[in-house]
Amino acid sequence: MSNNRMLTMAEAIREAMSIALDERPEVFLLGEDVGIYGGAFGVSGDMYHRYGAERVLDTPISELGIVGAAVGAALSGMRPIVEIQFSDFTAQAMDQIANQAAKIHFMLGGALHVPMVLRTPQGSGTGAAAQHSQNLEIWFASVPGLKVVVPSNPADAKGLLLAAIDDPNPVIFLEHKLLYKSPGIDPVPEGSTRIPLGVSKIVREGGDVTIVATGIMVSRSYQACKTIATEGISVELIDPRTITPLDMKPIFESVEKTGRLIVVQEGPAHAGFINEVIAQVTGSPSFGSLIAPIRRLAGLNIPIPYAPQLEHAAVPQVEDIEAAVRKIVADWQ
Amino acid sequence: MSFKYPVVMPKMSMTMEAGELIGFHVKVGDKVKRGDVLFEVMTDKIDMEVEAPEDGVIESLIEKPGAKVEVGNPVLVMVTETEVMVFDFGSAEVQSKTTPAETGLSPQQKKIDATTPIQLPPVPAVLQSESVKAVPKARATAAKNGVDLRTVTPTGPDHTITMKDLLQVSPDPKFIKRKEANRALVARGIELSRGIAQTTFTRKVIADFDQATFIASWASVLRGKSNLESNPYIGVALIVESRYGSALPVFRDPDLCHHDVLRTLVAATIERAKHGKVPVAMLTGATTTLFDLSLFSMGTATPLLFPNQATSVTIGRDHERTKVVSLTIDLNSYDFYDGVALLDSLVAALSQSSN
Repeated sequence: MSNNRMLTMAEAIREAMSIALDERPEVFLLGEDVGIYGGAFGVSGDMYHRYGAERVLDTPISELGIVGAAVGAALSGMRPIVEIQFSDFTAQAMDQIANQAAKIHFMLGGALHVPMVLRTPQGSGTGAAAQHSQNLEIWFASVPGLKVVVPSNPADAKGLLLAAIDDPNPVIFLEHKLLYKSPGIDPVPEGSTRIPLGVSKIVREGGDVTIVATGIMVSRSYQACKTIATEGISVELIDPRTITPLDMKPIFESVEKTGRLIVVQEGPAHAGFINEVIAQVTGSPSFGSLIAPIRRLAGLNIPIPYAPQLEHAAVPQVEDIEAAVRKIVADWQ
Repeated sequence: MSFKYPVVMPKMSMTMEAGELIGFHVKVGDKVKRGDVLFEVMTDKIDMEVEAPEDGVIESLIEKPGAKVEVGNPVLVMVTETEVMVFDFGSAEVQSKTTPAETGLSPQQKKIDATTPIQLPPVPAVLQSESVKAVPKARATAAKNGVDLRTVTPTGPDHTITMKDLLQVSPDPKFIKRKEANRALVARGIELSRGIAQTTFTRKVIADFDQATFIASWASVLRGKSNLESNPYIGVALIVESRYGSALPVFRDPDLCHHDVLRTLVAATIERAKHGKVPVAMLTGATTTLFDLSLFSMGTATPLLFPNQATSVTIGRDHERTKVVSLTIDLNSYDFYDGVALLDSLVAALSQSSN
């Protein structure tokens, strides 16, 4: 076994799905163009040819129908993996996701489970404009009964997806489009390995500032940390990896160490996930360790623009993170 | 450290509302010793000389001879150097200095002395200034080191005190010493209390009342059981958390004081005590102790019986309008049934006061 195997996130996800299909006969993949075409972003790739049309299922263009079929299959003992081409399109399927998948287990007194994983790409940076570029994690995070995963790199994506498929409850798995082709920082382990849902990862240790970031903002923050380190500022970077459940413990501990917290997300700041992190920090004993106001870095509260320059300016970039770190340290000694 | 101390028109009888200032025995700048006569007061019932509660210097005369001054209003202001803190466990040493029986006063004077300490303590200007902005850790650190954040120059954004600003200020050198001394006193108090045979009763009461009402109600209950009370007056010590530890200002005969005056006195005293300052006159003479647990969102705790005190009470929060009252009695002074009766009377008095 190789210790330094680098895969892209699309390859890592394909590998995880293939392992699940190999291990469990009840696992199958369904969605628009996941079969012969290999997926809108090429994630399922050659799986149709390896597993056949019955396990890699091309569906008609009906998100509501796809998720409804998956919920029904899950209730009947299957473990469906749904792919929705863009997370924006989950709006079409929201009744099945929020009112059916998330609730059935509870409304039937625990008699049934919905072991379904819904994978879908999100995020801006591809020039796909407002209806194909949103970050909607907070839609799902605000529905009790759904778990929400936002992998930031190939190794995590593989381990978290296998854990999500094992999970007896519906899991929303949000993949950033720009990460599909990216190899990430860490090698991807071989074999059937899991990363438990609800365990934050300390990506990089540091003592001056804590950054909490998810999805693509983890790699942007990581890049910023490396530059800033040459200026003598050490940043601790934490990736929660799952928004629901949310593991705050390492964040509390880090804030107690650094006293300065910057939270970064691509979606709009208004009512965003990062506000939950801030609320939990200010409501915890770690509050007394703060030596600076908590800083939010997030997307503007606007639909993502089509013009590339505006699209770039609408969400945090590496240089924005660097500037925020420099400023919080300079202002709050 | 010195602080200003107003000497106010004392309440010399239950019905007294104001007194006439006959004349001063001191002028501005005079150095006075504790017990020196400051001024003379006349009422329809009694004339009296008011004495200095502590050593100090006369700073200003507020009223003029011949003026009619309401009870509780200041007559003159003196500056005292005496550092006042915090505990009175009724130790032999303190007792010998303050027990009225040993001060050689006549019985009439003793009664007056008992009500004299009802004086409004001043809140220094620095404590009245508007609140400061500071990062949370600076607040926590300042509290730990005894630094008053109002003395720190803020250089952070929006005039906020940063950790760096705080490090420019040296910690209060007396602070740690005092805190330790206080801790030692607490430990000694607990040790002394252990040797007393005591028992605790708890009851719930549906009532809404403030601390002044509680203090007055408890004093009136004890006064009603005067056949059991050996003290010539009732002194209610209120436990107040200060930055040095617990402060215990004593309110003497609070049930005889006009309730609005008492309420002002209690509020002003708590504000001062939070900063570790208790007027000298309020430091001694406790016959019972009261601890308000509701400030800590607590319900019940067994009240600590202080040496030389026969009772101790805690008041805690139960539900929205329900409070929990716990009473500990010294079994050498009271029997079991006395304790039950005392608590019953207190609950009745509190229920009545909130209606």
